[in-house]
Amino acid sequence: MEQLEKSVEANPEDPSLQFDLGLYLWNNGGDSEKAAEHFVLSAKLNPNNAVAFKYLGHYYSRVTLDFNRAAKCYQRAVLLNPNDSDTGEALCDLFDSQGKEILEIAVCRDASEKSPKAFWAFCRLGYLQVHQKKWSEAVQSLQHAIRGYPTNADLWEALGLAYQRLGMFTAAIKAYGRAIELEETKIFALVESANIFLMLGSFRKGVELFEQALEISPQNISVLYGLASGLLSWSKECINLGAFGWAASLLEDARKAAKASSELASNMSSIWKLLGDIQLTYARCYPWPGGTENSEFTVKTFNDSIISWRSICYSAALLAKASYQRALHLAPWQANLYTDIAITCDLVSSLSDDSETSSSWKLPEKMALGALLLECENSEFWVALGCMSDNSALKLHALIRALHLDVSLAVAWAFMGQIFRESGEMKLAKQAFDCARSIDPTLALPWAGSADTYARESISDEAFESCLRAAMISPLAELQVGLAWLALVQENISSPQIFACIEQAVQRTPDYPESHNLHGLVCEARHNYHTAITSYRRALAAMSVYSDNSVKSHAGKIYINLVRSLSKAERFEESVMECANLKSKGLLDVGSLQIYAFSLWKIGENDSALSVIRDLAGRISTMEKTSIAFSISFICRMLYCISGIDSAITSIQKMPKDFFQSSKISFIISAIHALDQSDRLQSIVASTRSYITSQEDVVAMHYLIALTKLLKNGEGDSLGFEKGIAHLRKALHMYPHCNLLRNLLGYILLAGEGTKDACTASRCCIIDVSECANKEGLKSALEVLGGASVSCNVIGNTAPRFSFPTCHCQSLNAPVVVAELQRFLHQEPWNNDVRYMLILNLLQKAREQRFPRQLCRAIENLICVSLSETEDEYEKFQLLLCASEISLQKGNIEDSIAHARNASSLSLPRSNLFLGHLQLCRAYAAKGSIDHMQEEYRTCLELKTDSNIGWICLKLIESQFDLEPDANLLEMSLKECSSQKKNSWKEWMAVHSLALGLVSIGRKDFFSAEEFLTQACSLGDSDSSLLLCHGAVCMELARQTNDSQFLSRAVKSLTKAQASSLIPLPIAYMLLAQAHGSLGSKEKWEKNLRLEWFCWPPEMRPAEVYFQMHLLGLQSEGRPETASGIENCQSPEKWVLRAIHTNPSCSRYWNVLPKLVQHPKSRDLQIY
Amino acid sequence: MKLAGLKSIENAHEDSVWAATWVPATEDRSALLLTGSLDETVKLWRPDELDLVRSNTGHSLGVAAVAAHPSGIIAASSSLDSFVRVFDVDTNATIAVLEAPPSEVWGLQFEPKGTLLAVAGGSSASVKLWDTASWRLVSTLSVPRPEASKPSDKTSSKKFVLSVAWSPNGKRLACGSMDGTICIFDVDRSKFLHQLEGHNMPVRSLVFSPVDPRVLYSGSDDGHVNMHDAEGKTLVGSMSGHTSWVLSVDASPDGGAIATGSSDRTVKLWDLKMRAAIQTMSNHNDQVWSVAFRPPGGTGVRAGRLASVSDDKSVSLYDYS
Repeated sequence: MEQLEKSVEANPEDPSLQFDLGLYLWNNGGDSEKAAEHFVLSAKLNPNNAVAFKYLGHYYSRVTLDFNRAAKCYQRAVLLNPNDSDTGEALCDLFDSQGKEILEIAVCRDASEKSPKAFWAFCRLGYLQVHQKKWSEAVQSLQHAIRGYPTNADLWEALGLAYQRLGMFTAAIKAYGRAIELEETKIFALVESANIFLMLGSFRKGVELFEQALEISPQNISVLYGLASGLLSWSKECINLGAFGWAASLLEDARKAAKASSELASNMSSIWKLLGDIQLTYARCYPWPGGTENSEFTVKTFNDSIISWRSICYSAALLAKASYQRALHLAPWQANLYTDIAITCDLVSSLSDDSETSSSWKLPEKMALGALLLECENSEFWVALGCMSDNSALKLHALIRALHLDVSLAVAWAFMGQIFRESGEMKLAKQAFDCARSIDPTLALPWAGSADTYARESISDEAFESCLRAAMISPLAELQVGLAWLALVQENISSPQIFACIEQAVQRTPDYPESHNLHGLVCEARHNYHTAITSYRRALAAMSVYSDNSVKSHAGKIYINLVRSLSKAERFEESVMECANLKSKGLLDVGSLQIYAFSLWKIGENDSALSVIRDLAGRISTMEKTSIAFSISFICRMLYCISGIDSAITSIQKMPKDFFQSSKISFIISAIHALDQSDRLQSIVASTRSYITSQEDVVAMHYLIALTKLLKNGEGDSLGFEKGIAHLRKALHMYPHCNLLRNLLGYILLAGEGTKDACTASRCCIIDVSECANKEGLKSALEVLGGASVSCNVIGNTAPRFSFPTCHCQSLNAPVVVAELQRFLHQEPWNNDVRYMLILNLLQKAREQRFPRQLCRAIENLICVSLSETEDEYEKFQLLLCASEISLQKGNIEDSIAHARNASSLSLPRSNLFLGHLQLCRAYAAKGSIDHMQEEYRTCLELKTDSNIGWICLKLIESQFDLEPDANLLEMSLKECSSQKKNSWKEWMAVHSLALGLVSIGRKDFFSAEEFLTQACSLGDSDSSLLLCHGAVCMELARQTNDSQFLSRAVKSLTKAQASSLIPLPIAYMLLAQAHGSLGSKEKWEKNLRLEWFCWPPEMRPAEVYFQMHLLGLQSEGRPETASGIENCQSPEKWVLRAIHTNPSCSRYWNVLPKLVQHPKSRDLQIY
Repeated sequence: MKLAGLKSIENAHEDSVWAATWVPATEDRSALLLTGSLDETVKLWRPDELDLVRSNTGHSLGVAAVAAHPSGIIAASSSLDSFVRVFDVDTNATIAVLEAPPSEVWGLQFEPKGTLLAVAGGSSASVKLWDTASWRLVSTLSVPRPEASKPSDKTSSKKFVLSVAWSPNGKRLACGSMDGTICIFDVDRSKFLHQLEGHNMPVRSLVFSPVDPRVLYSGSDDGHVNMHDAEGKTLVGSMSGHTSWVLSVDASPDGGAIATGSSDRTVKLWDLKMRAAIQTMSNHNDQVWSVAFRPPGGTGVRAGRLASVSDDKSVSLYDYS
């Protein structure tokens, strides 16, 4: 200091030294007056020193309190250095404290214009502009200020406010968000941004922000109010969606918040109004919880739940009323509160039971007038009056006044339409509704109104559409119930939309019987009978609670619905009880009589059922024509079911003929006729047929006739296939596109005896996977085809790779059954029938391909799944046999035996069990345990079967293992079995002979084999496999005996075999070539050998074919006319090499090779 | 000059209590306290134990005001649905039901001699006078429209009349409106005299001084209690102390004090000489809608009593001495 003083003394003219001294004195608590002197000196010496002026300003403002001087000094300092925020702030504070706002603004504006870096000025200016509500200017200033102070939360908050006031809400939200980011406790920013969110309709975000604010300041009224109103708006959104439960829970939260705020500020009418709104909305949306409880239905619990629901609504409405009254009490000049009270009173009176008719002037109406007295120009109050009033003239007047005030008030038009509708002036109503709708298409009421108009004109489609729209716009129970009604008329009551609607309607009007009844109908249509029953019971219970007597007349209908559902749910005893109850009330109508009879029959009370049927029959004469048909057919069916066919027929014969004028009855009578062997109903059936007109019915009748023919033309156990098939063919000729008939024909053909019929069956049916799910008729196309393809592996197997089928059915274009089955199984993985069919088909495929491992494993897995799901014993049996077969083929004999044992232990007809034991036989044979085999063999003989193939297999086993305990018995059974089937006995005898032939071959007894096979060929209708077998045996005999007679027989058989086969048979040509060769015809030998080459698919050619080609090649060498033959594409030695390569174990090939290798040399020599 | 709590009844009503007045003593009985509530009932209480004498029902909405005839025989209650029920205090027999258009009934007061009942007419911007013998509407004193207001501006052109008070001599009638003005009428000539200004928020309660017919006390939402010279059209003084709306004001029978009830949940006693609050009772825990001094009279009753009722459903009784 001393130093400074000295230097000042030394250089009194130096302004900076003066200033430094002043500053030292100022800062170190020295004499401020002295400091000021030095500052003055410094300023005088250097008038551009802004800092000196600043301190002078400080001096004047703080020490001498000479504000004018201080202001001047500061102003000077700011002028000199506008960027100095200290000075600026000090000056502004000074002006602020003196209330000189204009000067303050002027200073800030000057500074901001002078220097863009005078951020303090922008900041101040911004705040001041916000204060003066110059929002757009404030935005600019604040934006500039924020560049200087980017982390100042206040600035961001102010900017947000400015944006908000300018209507730039997104920008405002961002600015507020920044403020909150910088400073978490910015309540104002939180509240305002939440308010913006509410205004923009994002209630959830708004509510979240309010909750955040509430954590910071739990006692803040505006936060609580905002939270409550946000929750209220949110819940209204939920209500519009139909989520009443959610809305109610939101409203409970809202109520808490509103209550808290009302406790904080009980004299704010707006808070009470909000609380009233919340309570009112709660009363209107609180859902009845009983609909979701799954507890057992009792009238008492139902009534209790209704009462508790209603009391919750009622008390909420009362609280709303009280809240509105408080609001009104605080601000009685606010007109809308009167309307609110009016609405609430209306709700309260609708919820309370006692109907007050004492006062001449009803409260809601009066309160609505109260609002009008205050604001008679408000059109909405007029509408409110129109709604509240009971007097229709006043209603109309009020609405007309409202429209006077605002002609485009859609609500008023809509209510007007409603009034006209109630008074029956439909034309005016329609006009009013149309008007309302054209003004505001998002209003539910006009849509409902026009739905009603359409419904009256019975344009049900339009009515339904309109009502649907109305219910979608506003999920009101009335609209939903109406919609369900219209859906009932339209018969699409099972749609989920209707279900949702009626569920909501029940939640909101649990005391209204009709909503329960419709809920029941919807559930019934959706096959949920138990829920439907509960709903009907509820409807009945609600009826006893419901005050309005007009609905009680519907009790009978609800009872009928109830008994129908009970019988559909197979709760027949309850159904009978309810019916008896109905009967005692005299409410039984035709429909319920039918249900009564049916239920009685189901619980076994046939006599009572019959008496009910008699009752029903007594009423027929009074019925309408359509219901006569139903009743008659019902009576016929019940008579048949209860007292048998004869009684049914005599009753039918007794009935007047003019009852039978319907296609429905015709079906019933025809069906009974089908079962009657003595044709007593022939004439009636013929007369009723004329009532069958629609094509569907005609087709169905053909179906029935075909079945009738099957039944009537059969003998003993067998059916009359021929007649049935003939009829179906004719019918199909008339209706070629009818899949029902096609499938039946296929099924019958398949069920018939002939093996060839299976192939025909497969051609009958048209597979369409998309239609497979359609379970019409006895069997689906896929099942028929699957069955056919199991019986003949040509069907559905377009590219046989390992076999050379001799069947004549040509189905190269037919669908691949295995693929189709898989496609369908993929579509319906739960469909066990399809899986079963697939397993059988796959097994056939596996058999054809010699049981490849992969496929076997897949089949085993499938069988595993299928076995666990199937209930059918026969299917189980088949599956177990399949499993056993696969295990056997895999060499897993123990498993195979176990499966077969399981199969044989099932409770099935003996002839089926035979096959199980046969399989056991085979398994034991593979195991080599002769004793067991013997035992099983005997069991088989005891069980007997009607399956030829079973007997033949047994025969083969018997001869193979020399079991032969009672050979004659087997022989006889076989013949007897074959002779039973007269259509196909020839075929079976041929197979039998083949088997015998094979047995003889096994014994090397070729002569007898030849005899058997000749017999087989003569019986077997030129079956190529039989012929081939015969040819082969003849060749063998020719070889053994050198008798050319056998050769010529072989040639004959083999040529025939080739001729009758659709595809060239390998080996047959080879044998033929040998036969011809032996007979000396070289040309034919060559020709047949070449044909043999082409018979084989390349990958399956046996070594012998290559070897034969080499012979052919040798023969054709040097003969140019055969150069194009296949044998010349390679040299003979190459052919032999390929033969060796294919089968190296054959010494014949090896022996030939050296000769060929040497041969070329000699040939070369010849040339030279 | 002080208040001492005597008795307080919690849950005197099922809901907020909004109105209270004293029914003057008759020859047979002492004075009774009459209270009206949002729970749509009117109850009669006997001091000092505050025994419930009767509970009157019959209103469809909350009871906003009650008034007792000076004779102590009949009383009137008005509810938000604009019905005024006039009944016999001792028998609860309905004497008359006065029906007004909705929103046109607010405060009530009987003329000191008992010939007229003045009803603050709410949105009708008037005070209705009913004859207490025939129960016919005899006069309507209309509040003039402010001249400046535009005719198109419908809402502000009407004044909502909230409160009404008779001067002790029955010559003057004052009514308070939501815009803060108070109108004075000459009852005999059915003429509007002038308008008193000073409040800028709704005037919810008015009372003339029992000793000086010129002096009118008014309580308003602006938190002040004003003292006017009703004849001279001047604001004599303004007293502040409540932190929220003043909902009710009543003058003590001796004319030395006034009591006020407020939204700030307190009851204050004001010394008129000091023009300041001398005592604050904060026994209520919600806003106090009405305070009422017991009128003098009755056998052997000299002690002063003050009653207060509140949104907290309670009724309190104080000794005033």
